[in-house]
Amino acid sequence: MNGLGSLALYLVVVVAIVGFIMVLTHLLGERHSQRGTAVPYESGIFPTGSARIRFPSDFYLVAMFFVVFDVAAVYLFAWAVAARELGWAGYAAILVFSLETIAGLAYLWKMGAFDWGARRKREHLERHGY
Amino acid sequence: MMLALFIVLPLVCGFAAWILGSRGSTAGRWISLAGNAFNLVLAAWLWIAQASGSLVPVEGTWLALSSMPWIPAYGISFTLGLDGLSLLFVALTSLLGIAAVLASWKGIQEKVAFFHFCLCLVLAGINGVFLSIDLFLFAFMWELMLIPMYFLIDIWGHEGRHRAALKFFLFTQIGGLLMFVAIIGLYLAHAAATGLRTFDYRLLLGTALDPTRGMLLMLGFFAAFAVKLPAFPLHAWLPDAHTEAPTAGSVILAGLLLKTGGYGLIRFVLPLFPEASRSFAPIAMWIGVAGIIYGGFMAFSQTDMKRLVAYTSVSHLGFVLLGVFAFNVQALNGAVIQMLSHGLSTGALFILVGSLQDRLHTRELSRMGGLWSAAPKFGAFGLVLTLALLGLPGFGNFIGEFLVLLGAYRASVSVAVVAAIGLVFAMVYSLRMYQLAFHGESSDTKEVRDLGAIEIAALGAMIIALFWLGIFPQGAMDAASRALGGILGILGGTA
Amino acid sequence: MSASGYLGLLPLAILAGSAILVLFGLAFARQRYETAFALSMAGLVAALASLFFAWTGAPQRFTALLVLDHFAYLSMALSIGATIVVEFMSFAYFRARREENGEFYFLLQLACLGCAVLASSSSFASFFLGLELLSTPLFTLIGYRREREAGLRSAFMYLILAGVSSAFLLFGMALVYLETGSLDITTAARAASGSASFTVLAGLALMTVGIGFKLAVAPFHVWTPDIYDAAPAPATAFIATASKGAMAILLVRFFAPAGIAGAGPFAWIFAAIAGISMFTGNILALREGNLKRLLAYSSIAHLGYILVAFVASGNQGSAAVSFYLVAYFVSNLAAFAAVAGLSTNEAEADSIEHYRGLAKGHPWAAAALTASLLSLAGLPLTAGFMGKFVIFEAGAGAFLWVLVVILAVNSTISIFYYLRVVSALYRPASEAGTGSMSPRPAMPALAAIALAAMAIAIIVIGAMPGSLMAFIREVARDIASNAAAAL
Repeated sequence: MNGLGSLALYLVVVVAIVGFIMVLTHLLGERHSQRGTAVPYESGIFPTGSARIRFPSDFYLVAMFFVVFDVAAVYLFAWAVAARELGWAGYAAILVFSLETIAGLAYLWKMGAFDWGARRKREHLERHGY
Repeated sequence: MMLALFIVLPLVCGFAAWILGSRGSTAGRWISLAGNAFNLVLAAWLWIAQASGSLVPVEGTWLALSSMPWIPAYGISFTLGLDGLSLLFVALTSLLGIAAVLASWKGIQEKVAFFHFCLCLVLAGINGVFLSIDLFLFAFMWELMLIPMYFLIDIWGHEGRHRAALKFFLFTQIGGLLMFVAIIGLYLAHAAATGLRTFDYRLLLGTALDPTRGMLLMLGFFAAFAVKLPAFPLHAWLPDAHTEAPTAGSVILAGLLLKTGGYGLIRFVLPLFPEASRSFAPIAMWIGVAGIIYGGFMAFSQTDMKRLVAYTSVSHLGFVLLGVFAFNVQALNGAVIQMLSHGLSTGALFILVGSLQDRLHTRELSRMGGLWSAAPKFGAFGLVLTLALLGLPGFGNFIGEFLVLLGAYRASVSVAVVAAIGLVFAMVYSLRMYQLAFHGESSDTKEVRDLGAIEIAALGAMIIALFWLGIFPQGAMDAASRALGGILGILGGTA
Repeated sequence: MSASGYLGLLPLAILAGSAILVLFGLAFARQRYETAFALSMAGLVAALASLFFAWTGAPQRFTALLVLDHFAYLSMALSIGATIVVEFMSFAYFRARREENGEFYFLLQLACLGCAVLASSSSFASFFLGLELLSTPLFTLIGYRREREAGLRSAFMYLILAGVSSAFLLFGMALVYLETGSLDITTAARAASGSASFTVLAGLALMTVGIGFKLAVAPFHVWTPDIYDAAPAPATAFIATASKGAMAILLVRFFAPAGIAGAGPFAWIFAAIAGISMFTGNILALREGNLKRLLAYSSIAHLGYILVAFVASGNQGSAAVSFYLVAYFVSNLAAFAAVAGLSTNEAEADSIEHYRGLAKGHPWAAAALTASLLSLAGLPLTAGFMGKFVIFEAGAGAFLWVLVVILAVNSTISIFYYLRVVSALYRPASEAGTGSMSPRPAMPALAAIALAAMAIAIIVIGAMPGSLMAFIREVARDIASNAAAAL
């Protein structure tokens, strides 16, 4: 109860301080509205075009694969630290885990997820008779 | 095992009619007719056997028992029992089953196979209700008969059928579920008192209940039976359902389904909850009287012939409620006779109205008239049935109403006096109906085809049975008396 | 760990291993769609068969994570069986775009594995693992038909809601762990029932919110109709049955042995949830014109019924929950098999208008769908009636009269909308012509088989439930004794 009480107090203090600062800046800060006010600051140069351009989805894919396989490496690391204590059971478990990861990798490879660009993907699909 | 035949045979016939009947339209009719005829023969044979004394009770008042385990984990078994009371109703079921098949011979031309499937399923359920003495099985059968009945109204009914079917279902379902909960409550109370988990009626009799709980459980049962009967404020489903149902459906509704309510009161409410029913009796009797008066009054003010007959049911079954809760042997006998003869007379009237509607395409009394001259057979049968409806001596209805009033007089003079006013209403609405439909002159009814052979056969058989009940009621009363005596014995009532 | 110990793990191992096989099949086979279906089906059937071998070894614990008792195997059998039926109804449904649809079976199998883990988890860690293993494939399954915008939107919605509910769940677990110092479910539950400290109660309340989202009971039900409607019919079938069933089983395993459900503040909370769910689900369903949404609302009510038995607790309550789940599974699967079987690539068969006149063109499908709807309504000769009975019995046995009467009233309300659908099946289709396709395509064979099998199951359970009931009572007796032994 005591721990929770101090937590609650902490929360109250945080909210109060942040709120205080925001109210203060709102009251004290100056406000003006001119032509360039709402424009993003680009080192003095006016921005051109919209920032919402379409990236090829391959970028996202690569980012996701990176995260997925990177997390897999984290698990390997966690096992390696305690490898002796975990013994053969731990070894079996991490082996299964690795095989599953490799199976996933094989699937992605075969599906052409690592082929870069639209042209390569089309070739891949044609090769598979679609 | 023979008892299971009463349920299994219609079921088998129903499926056979559905499967075989989907090719040719007559196969379904013949199969369900044969099934019902066989059941009638079986019931008649049992009747003769018990009347001649060759069939003696095997246990208590039960003439036949059959039992096999069903769901042992919950103490549920497939137990059927037949005593004089159930025999009467099973016989009525078979007879009206035949009448319903005959009544739909010409009238139903669409989805014939499925129609007979539903019809047979309802009859199986009704027989199950009359025969089961395992309370779980009873609740099961009670609900089972509703679904095909719903279909009968919803698919083959008249213009307002969807609404009427739904209304019928919702009313009866809520009552049925309350009863189901009460059955489980009784089961648990019995299990708590004796440690034996069973739904067997014979074992549950005499379960000790404290007054509050007994009253609540009794009301749960009463809710289901009062809706079905129907008792006065809960009758709202009845006029619509009876009016919109096809002829066969109306016959079964009025002739049999309503009887399950009365049967349930006699078989379950009184013996299972003697104290609670005794303290509830005055209220129940006044509810019955209210039904008699209200039904009569409403019947008088109807312009739709079928609706008129429907309201007379409310009135006549008020007598049943009155008789059941008067707690003496005359009234109870009267209630039984009243149920049987109401089943026959109202069933026959619905067939008559149905065949009129087939010919005239209307049920409005104002558009009828002059039928006596146009179709004399219609007139004759109509007259006989109208006289039965108003309770003329010689018909079963008279015996039933007379005995109920006699018994009610012993229980409470004021109730009997008010109930007797209902007889005046009966006179008025019956004669008004007959006059508007059959007398006078009308251009609409000139070309009416008279009753056909099938219809005459169905109506004739029912009228003969009515006369038999009216002239020799002793046979039916003897059969029922042993069972009723047992029930009155539990109640400790005056014999 | 003995050999029989690993034998007990066999069902889970087969499910996981065959999922990998499906993945390889998808990558390397020529006929990817058919291969994936065949491999996945083989894996599920093998897993189902392995339950027989695993059965004798039960009960046992596998590390601190899994408890492999009869109850777990029963619920595994339910989830696997449901998944098999779902795959049957999917085969024709997804066939039109077969080159990209093979993955459906892989995802479905993973979700099934998640259900199996969930049902046998004995620790918060495995509980959470199972839950995520179940939820993650579901996002994809819900939005599987990419060409439908509503599906994508709902998948996203489910993603967010599942994330939120997981957060609640995790926070709750953390609070309970804080107080009890144990991740073990029974230990935690026991500690929670003894000392009702504020931290534990808050933790349990948060967990209840998380579980409530998954079960879609009121007031956490708002996502159900949209997602049921937008997801492809087989995926909806899976969400309605296996996913909710595994969660309900877990709820029993977690709360029932310690008696938390039957007494104290949580009895009131769950009773309130049950009552509100029943009314909410049934009343919202009354005016619904879309069959999938109607089934969604009805499932809210059905989970409310299940909670009545859950609050009743004890052996009767656990047995009632399990038996009702069986009835609920077969009825819902039959209904969705009909929906999936009658849907075409162009149009989902979801509007009730669409079903008008079904009895004319597809008499057997109409009969089976009727059986399923009547079973959901709880009418006799169907599994639903027996299910209602065991819940009534459990509820009345625990003196929950108010809940039992609410249940009775709600059953009556529910009949109103089930019968509306049934009545539509037997009406002529001609009247308006909108939505009802006059030359109906024939029902695909596998979906028809699934529908027929479920309809037969409904009737058989409804007519002769004796041995199944006895079996389930036996199994339910296990969990109480196992939980006691574990302490």
